[in-house]
Amino acid sequence: MTLTDVILQQVINGLSLGAMYALLALGFTLVYGILELINFSHFNVFMVGSFIAMYVLQAFGLSGQTTILTGLPLVGVLVAAFAVTMLACGAIGVGIERFLLRPLRAVKGPAAMILTIGVSYVLFNLVILGSGADSKNFPNPLPALQWPIGGAVLRLREVLIWAVSLLLMGGLTYFVGYTKLGKAMRATAQDPEAARMMGVEVDRVIMTAFFLGAALAGAGGLIFGLYYNFTSFIIGFNAGLRAFTAAVLGGIGNVPGAMLGGLMIGLIEAFSGAFIATAWSDVIIFSILVLVLVFRPAGLLGRVAPNKS
Amino acid sequence: MLTRRSAFKAAAGIAATATLGVSQRALAADKILKIGLDQSFTGADAQAAVRIGNGVIMAFDEANADNAVPGYKFVVEKFDDATATAGQYDPAQGAINARKMVSDKQIIAAVGPSMSGVGKAMSPILSAGDLATITPASTNPDITDPKFAAQFRPKGKAVYFRTVTTDAYQGPNMANYMIEVLKVKSIYILDDSGAYGVGMADAFEAQAKKKGANVLGRDRLDPKAADYSAVLTKIKALNPDALYYGGVGQAGIKLAKQSYDIIPKVIKAGGDGMQSADLLQAGGFPAVEGWYATAASPHVTESTDPRVVAWSKAYHDRFKIYPDDYTVTAYDASLAIIAAAKKINSMGKPVTRSAIRDMLEKIEVPTLQGVVSFDSNGDIKDHTVSVFQIRKDDKFPLDDTSHQYKYLGVAPQS
Repeated sequence: MTLTDVILQQVINGLSLGAMYALLALGFTLVYGILELINFSHFNVFMVGSFIAMYVLQAFGLSGQTTILTGLPLVGVLVAAFAVTMLACGAIGVGIERFLLRPLRAVKGPAAMILTIGVSYVLFNLVILGSGADSKNFPNPLPALQWPIGGAVLRLREVLIWAVSLLLMGGLTYFVGYTKLGKAMRATAQDPEAARMMGVEVDRVIMTAFFLGAALAGAGGLIFGLYYNFTSFIIGFNAGLRAFTAAVLGGIGNVPGAMLGGLMIGLIEAFSGAFIATAWSDVIIFSILVLVLVFRPAGLLGRVAPNKS
Repeated sequence: MLTRRSAFKAAAGIAATATLGVSQRALAADKILKIGLDQSFTGADAQAAVRIGNGVIMAFDEANADNAVPGYKFVVEKFDDATATAGQYDPAQGAINARKMVSDKQIIAAVGPSMSGVGKAMSPILSAGDLATITPASTNPDITDPKFAAQFRPKGKAVYFRTVTTDAYQGPNMANYMIEVLKVKSIYILDDSGAYGVGMADAFEAQAKKKGANVLGRDRLDPKAADYSAVLTKIKALNPDALYYGGVGQAGIKLAKQSYDIIPKVIKAGGDGMQSADLLQAGGFPAVEGWYATAASPHVTESTDPRVVAWSKAYHDRFKIYPDDYTVTAYDASLAIIAAAKKINSMGKPVTRSAIRDMLEKIEVPTLQGVVSFDSNGDIKDHTVSVFQIRKDDKFPLDDTSHQYKYLGVAPQS
């Protein structure tokens, strides 16, 4: 491998990582945009998503990486897995909002945020109790297709991650930008009271934000599993923290910002691992975050918003 | 049942003996000898912990059934040194466990831990409490090295005994094996940032360099991170003959999976941290196929010695899983404690912590791996390191360590 090959390969690695972080970052940003709440349960909704996806794939009779599917069965299994995982995670997100956070909405201060940390730990421990604390071999039906690009290699799973992420992010952008409910979301984000006066059902909007964020986290969980052939109860914290960083880096509350932030964190992680040392990746990622925030406190794409009254 | 009246009597009794100056020990006539069993029961190495724990429980149950130490009954108490937030072993939890053990006067000896990081945290506390532990699996040499005695056994006497040898042999002997037998010329080395992994990789690296191999680089994996593709791509570009990994399952499982994708043709090897059912199950075939791993003990489970065969069958009958070599060392560690207690008792002395500790330094115990004896630092006198390779055998469960790891022989000593 020449240096160009290595760089190209790291771009491929970084974009795949980044796509995953971006999907997760969107969940933070959607909820924050509307409620100004940092939803820490999101970390482990993602993790639960990867477990749900694992059980769905196992229900199709897949185990480990030994059963390979192609053609229609592959597409069918993947579509079903994405649909079930995203709906189930969306339902978890809605449940967290409806039953745990809504009663707290009138409470000022950090109570709601602390509650999400609690929910995160509950999910985490439920998974340990329910499926054990060992690492899991995530079933993967993808054929081992790969295409050489010079000395670098592009694998089917990377193409899949990019395609799914693009599709979901495109869908979300369309939804937020052009649908009625999306417009209601943006209106609520700008000024909940005015939105309510204009007839926007704020409760429904908030629930939608939680549903979408959690569903995207579910998709992220499934993608994580397919990419690494692995899942464990612990994956939420690391990925979640980076995704959260991505959301802040891009400008929390800003949808394109979350995507940009995710991709950037992914690329930074890949390049720092390759050219410095993996032991330094976190230092570099978080130093860049600090620098960006010092010079652009609202993040790369965020605007310093006037205080909501 | 402890009624109020009997509780009162007991309390009065304690007060009376205290005033009369009768030894507390004489009063504690319940004759329970508790054994602390410290393992990483939660997380990435949970299955290995269960296998080891079973071996210990089996040994003490047998001793109780045979009335090996007349007048005493062994009770094994489990301690989990892993925490959910760490996802694997956690030295801080090990320290808490060691304090609990030391403060429980009924605990006369311990078995464990399996993780050197935990061992480093536990050893000074055990030393202060004069409580001996025998580790069936932790191999970092520093803990028993007299050079670090001030740190790990401040009271001076050995408290950290082992029924496995250390990485001072495991790492270098594997370097010898890879260079002499596998004809490896260039190597990249990784570790998992833990005490065991770093020490193992250091020992390996030093010997590999001494033997003239070209060490192309060294990097550290974060066991909590999911993605190692960056460093693996870097390794791919360097094109080494082999990759050596010092570390345990949490990073090892992901490393096996991702290195299979990125550097499938490179020879991959690890230490005893890469010999586990967790790796086979969560790593899975084909990713783990071909990995080399070592054990810091002789290879016993495939022995045709009738005693081993009978033991192996009894273990499988009871626990429905196959024992591995560290189940043997755990069983052997338990035998050593039982033998020490028996000897002390036969000399007519009370079986206490310090008596057990002192006795462990002296005895020679016939065990499954042969006659075990310890030097004055607590290390086992035998230094055998066994080499294995993962080769899929469809006749057995795919997470069965004793059949999916093929024994290749003893690694050459330096």
